[in-house]
Amino acid sequence: MADTNALELDGLRRAFGGVVAVDNVSVDVRRGEFVTLLGPSGSGKTSTLRLIGGFERPDAGAIRINGSRVDHLPAYQRDTTTIFQTGALFPHKTVAENVAYGLRMRGVAKADIAPRVRQALEVVRLSGYEERYPAQLSGGQKQRVALARSMVVRPTILLFDEPLSALDLSLRLQLRAEIRRLHDEIGFSAIYVTHDQGEAMAMSSRVAVMRSGRIEQIDRPEKVFAEPASEFVYTFIGESCCLRAQVSAGAAADSAGAPLELRLAQPLGEGAWRIYIRPSRLHLGRADMPNGLKARLDFTEFLGDVHRYHFKAGKLELFVDHPGAVVHKPGDAVDIGWQTADMVAYQ
Amino acid sequence: MSAGASDMAPSGPRGPGWRMRLTPWLLMSPALLIAIAFFGLPIAFMGRMSFNEHVDQRFYVPGFTFDNYAAMLTDPTFSAALWTTMRLALISSIVTVAIGYVFAMLVWLKPKRWRLAFIALALCPLLISEISIIFGWWMFFPKNGLLSYALVSSGLITDKISLMYTEFAAFVGLTYVTLPFCFFILLSIFDGIDKKVLEASADLGGSPVRTFYEVLLPLTKGGIAASFAQSFIWAVGTYATPSALGPDTLWTIGYLIQEQMLGKHNWPRAAAFSIVLTSGVAVVMMIIRMLASKRTALNG
Repeated sequence: MADTNALELDGLRRAFGGVVAVDNVSVDVRRGEFVTLLGPSGSGKTSTLRLIGGFERPDAGAIRINGSRVDHLPAYQRDTTTIFQTGALFPHKTVAENVAYGLRMRGVAKADIAPRVRQALEVVRLSGYEERYPAQLSGGQKQRVALARSMVVRPTILLFDEPLSALDLSLRLQLRAEIRRLHDEIGFSAIYVTHDQGEAMAMSSRVAVMRSGRIEQIDRPEKVFAEPASEFVYTFIGESCCLRAQVSAGAAADSAGAPLELRLAQPLGEGAWRIYIRPSRLHLGRADMPNGLKARLDFTEFLGDVHRYHFKAGKLELFVDHPGAVVHKPGDAVDIGWQTADMVAYQ
Repeated sequence: MSAGASDMAPSGPRGPGWRMRLTPWLLMSPALLIAIAFFGLPIAFMGRMSFNEHVDQRFYVPGFTFDNYAAMLTDPTFSAALWTTMRLALISSIVTVAIGYVFAMLVWLKPKRWRLAFIALALCPLLISEISIIFGWWMFFPKNGLLSYALVSSGLITDKISLMYTEFAAFVGLTYVTLPFCFFILLSIFDGIDKKVLEASADLGGSPVRTFYEVLLPLTKGGIAASFAQSFIWAVGTYATPSALGPDTLWTIGYLIQEQMLGKHNWPRAAAFSIVLTSGVAVVMMIIRMLASKRTALNG
């Protein structure tokens, strides 16, 4: 058992009407691994999670938990538990009764339930809240009860369905750190669905970036950020500037045909290109770098650590994050430079 | 809701404390006035009427007597009618709540596009007057009625039968009339439940049956009580349906009141019957409210 994966998805497919929500998704989750499904809404990440949990049946493909097929089993016979976006606590049961529910349903001996409930509430730092009802808890506390309720049964795999997206920012960051801490301490296996790339980067062993029901790339977060497998992954992970340039006879022009003062170390072939660079990798006033563009400053924004400079060059718009005081005035023509390794171009 | 005036009042000296204590009453006064004018006064008049005396050729003569109440204790017709009414109302209410519950649950669980059709279906009986519905049953239950034809032509029975003027017909009639009220009360309760709790229960290992007993039933307890009360009150009070569809021997209190009022022109006796009926309903309501626990009230 130790060498089987906690979860294996093999060529999963699910269509609703004519719309393919999950398209040939294959993922293996190793024991103790925290895998995030990251994607915009409608990318099939929640549908994939619902297939694993047993709330939907796949049209094709296999789901294996601990090495055995489960896709024919209903939700209540699968060794998975879900933390829902809205918590979905039982409103007529106390916190302790909510947490005990899964243990009772699984036939755990009565004498073992109380200590396990107590311990689970301790783990999520809600000792002393046993007798409260969900209506008497704050949003963050509700989600922590939901977490305790799902973890206490020690499922083979925990499923997180955007559990933090209904909370405000500071609570989100706090709970995110707490889930991370619990994972480090307990070492549960998990699939975490989110559209928030910050969450995905901060918590995951591996990130699977999804788009239109397919996995575009699955890898460690650092790797996905540094070496995106596709243009979609590049634009979805982190901020980026997109330079749309028309290259013909070695000269670049914007989409309207106006010439651009664009220097590239490695010239691009003929055609329409989209060049992407992270705003933090663009440098101001550097005509000496291997690549460069002359652009006119439109306006600046103060973001705290940096100023964000918004430039225009013909139809192009780009922004540069630059620390230190603002030295340029709107309307100034500025040389923007970057290293060849920091850019990617797609045709 | 339980926050009374004393909870809100600052513990200061007399003046503002009095005003704070008066405020809730002032705020409630329009509703109270309407309740007193339209419900309190008629019942008070009826109560007074029940102590009047009755002589032939007069509806009543003012007086003060307990005869009308004493008659109920000694009159076997009345106690029989009381028993019949309670039995009829109890059974038809239980059946109504059971059917209404299943129906409302299905509408709640089914995709939205079915919803409007179901609701329209449930509204139909409310659009027709009770009398028209009775005429409908008159075409359904007799020997040459729809039911008889359907049973014979489907081969279930060989000879035509009549279910007209049976207690069964009275049950069906009562259930049909009260079903829409039950359905809408229960549907509104179901609509207040987050469907995700059903998934959460299944997710934690609860089979559909256990999910029903552990989650759905406790969350709809209040609705069951309310719809049962609604249906029971209606079934106890109505007299047209049971007397038009049931056997001649089916004497309900509603029928007796009608007979005293319109047949024998004995208004004090009719008023006394009505007071007993109203009090009986009130007692049943209070029991139901006590049974529906505080927890449901807290978490709705």
